[in-house]
Amino acid sequence: MDARAAHTCLHQPRKPTEMREEEIPTDRFFLPPSCILGAVNPSTEVCIARLYDLLGLTWRSASVGPRSQCTCCSAILSHGDIVTPETTLLTVARIWALAHEQGLDHLSTACVTSAAVHLECRETYEHEPGLAEKVDRWLQEACGRRLHIPKAIVHCSDVVYRHRNALAERLRYRLVDRRTGAPLKVVDHVGCHYGKVFPERAVGGAEDCDVLAGLVRAWGGVRVDYPERNHCCGMGFRQCMIRPNRGYTMACVLRKLESMAPYEPDLILTNCPGCNLFLDKEQHAVHELTGKWFDIPVLSYTELAALLLGWDPYAVAGIQAKTVPVEPLLDRIGIPYDKDRMYVPDPTEKAPTHEH
Amino acid sequence: MPDRDRPISPGELCSLGYDALRRLSDEQVVGGYEALRDQPGPSAHGTVYPNIARLHQSPLEREKDRREVWNRAASTPVPEAQAFYEEAKRRPVTWWLQHQLVAKHAFKSCMYCGVCTARCPAAQFYEEYNPRMVVDAVLSQDEERLEGLLRSDLLWFCGQCGSCKPCCPRENNLMGLISSLRMLCQLKGWHLCSVRGRQQYFARHLWGANFWNRGCSLYFRNAAPEGHPDFGPRWARYWRAVEAQMARVGASPDQDGLFGGRKLPPETLEELRACVHHGGTLALWTAVEEAAMADAGRRGVDLDAYWTLVGSEG
Repeated sequence: MDARAAHTCLHQPRKPTEMREEEIPTDRFFLPPSCILGAVNPSTEVCIARLYDLLGLTWRSASVGPRSQCTCCSAILSHGDIVTPETTLLTVARIWALAHEQGLDHLSTACVTSAAVHLECRETYEHEPGLAEKVDRWLQEACGRRLHIPKAIVHCSDVVYRHRNALAERLRYRLVDRRTGAPLKVVDHVGCHYGKVFPERAVGGAEDCDVLAGLVRAWGGVRVDYPERNHCCGMGFRQCMIRPNRGYTMACVLRKLESMAPYEPDLILTNCPGCNLFLDKEQHAVHELTGKWFDIPVLSYTELAALLLGWDPYAVAGIQAKTVPVEPLLDRIGIPYDKDRMYVPDPTEKAPTHEH
Repeated sequence: MPDRDRPISPGELCSLGYDALRRLSDEQVVGGYEALRDQPGPSAHGTVYPNIARLHQSPLEREKDRREVWNRAASTPVPEAQAFYEEAKRRPVTWWLQHQLVAKHAFKSCMYCGVCTARCPAAQFYEEYNPRMVVDAVLSQDEERLEGLLRSDLLWFCGQCGSCKPCCPRENNLMGLISSLRMLCQLKGWHLCSVRGRQQYFARHLWGANFWNRGCSLYFRNAAPEGHPDFGPRWARYWRAVEAQMARVGASPDQDGLFGGRKLPPETLEELRACVHHGGTLALWTAVEEAAMADAGRRGVDLDAYWTLVGSEG
């Protein structure tokens, strides 16, 4: 630890423990896409754009004609230990430059690890004197762009949370059992890199995060608490993506499922691409290894919004990609679906009508 | 056998292994790869680039990346960050802890409360591991002990979830500290001492290749069922028409577009590669490549076989 860091440590005022709802911008967002969400859960990402359009929000990505200029933020490489922090700073600074060129200073990221990486970059400039000038110079040398630190960095689930009541008014269905009228029981699993890395930038902080629980309340359900609520899903970057290490991921998923099962949740709700993938997919592996079939469907916050809005479960929400079938949940809510159209693309189906 | 003087068809180029590719010129390897990558094909969903599927994770892509990275890393002027990481290869671990951008801010002090270990999912799964081991070694400032840590499997067990961060009374960033030490471990070649550390060569040509060639850390074909039997039969069924399913929901698999699977234009990739270069990452990638070549030689396998080997051991 150097003297400068020691000085910062001793004199820094205690950080706030959570983000207030009023700190979330309401409009004018730059939307950098997520590599993992786009790869394994593409409907969730496109539904962000669809929801922003529905809410009448101004948003843009960056492209030349139909060709995107947005790269990923390098988060998986950073947590996979194969890029330097300086490369991450430059990659993120380039994305910020694209946002600035679009006249947008509110960044809403589709991935929670991406949100944490963007926030980490911004914090690093605060902790390291002279770094911003250095990165600005490197960025000019590398690609002729300039460093512009955005005014706000939030995750897209923050934006949906801010507009949850406006969305509730538009819902065609609610998180209610259509036969009994009872609210459905929802387990919220907030991505670690949303609440734990920067608790002061998370609605409700790390321990009692409200970013998903608030959606459940507003949309008619009840949140179910359980002992391992804050345990990681086990995604772990090198743990899930390098095959011999995947036992770690499976064990974490099993630990969570065993902890939540006694509370009989109808649904696991997520805001992180990794959690949305592995809490669903590893239920098959857990079944193969232990014989236990938990059969708890997993949806991201935008998949759930899409379904409750009455959008097509297959052509828009993309639930055919799920390992745990979502159709029984749709039956309980009363959402219709046509299983014959599960895997059949319809040439008349249109992509979202957003800007660009 | 291909040689430098004979034109090579795209189909032949894609089928070659490490030994044959080594005999080709940069123009044959790099030029051939780029021509294949940017060649559009017919599709019902707009402009599609069908060769990307064949190129990703191929021996051709790895050989092309090696050449591009070696050439760019050797160019002058050497970026400031690259010079720092080259110097770090020769410096002690304690120097790194004082000077590296993440390491020097990650750790303040420790009151030995143990809450990081209590909250750590990796400590619950791996009996031999807990994050206090890393903290103790760093606090010791003992070079021998630190080197021992960096040569062990322990460093690679952390899942980078950050569960330890919000509960640390000293606001330490152990996730960042561990990641930083893993980077130094690779720069020094010590990752070869650990079966988990050796996996970094697989990671370099997985995430690193995605980033360098497609501008993303994760490419959608990395989730193919052959590599993910744990995802179950419904995923395998979905995957049989993955491009159509992705396009159906509005994504852009190997196409121009804004969302998942999109192909980036060469000029955007060039900007990204310049950022990678100026950020010093090529010092890391060349160190990982040199270590892999030496280790593959010791094991009597070529680099293609080595890449497969280290990705399946553990």
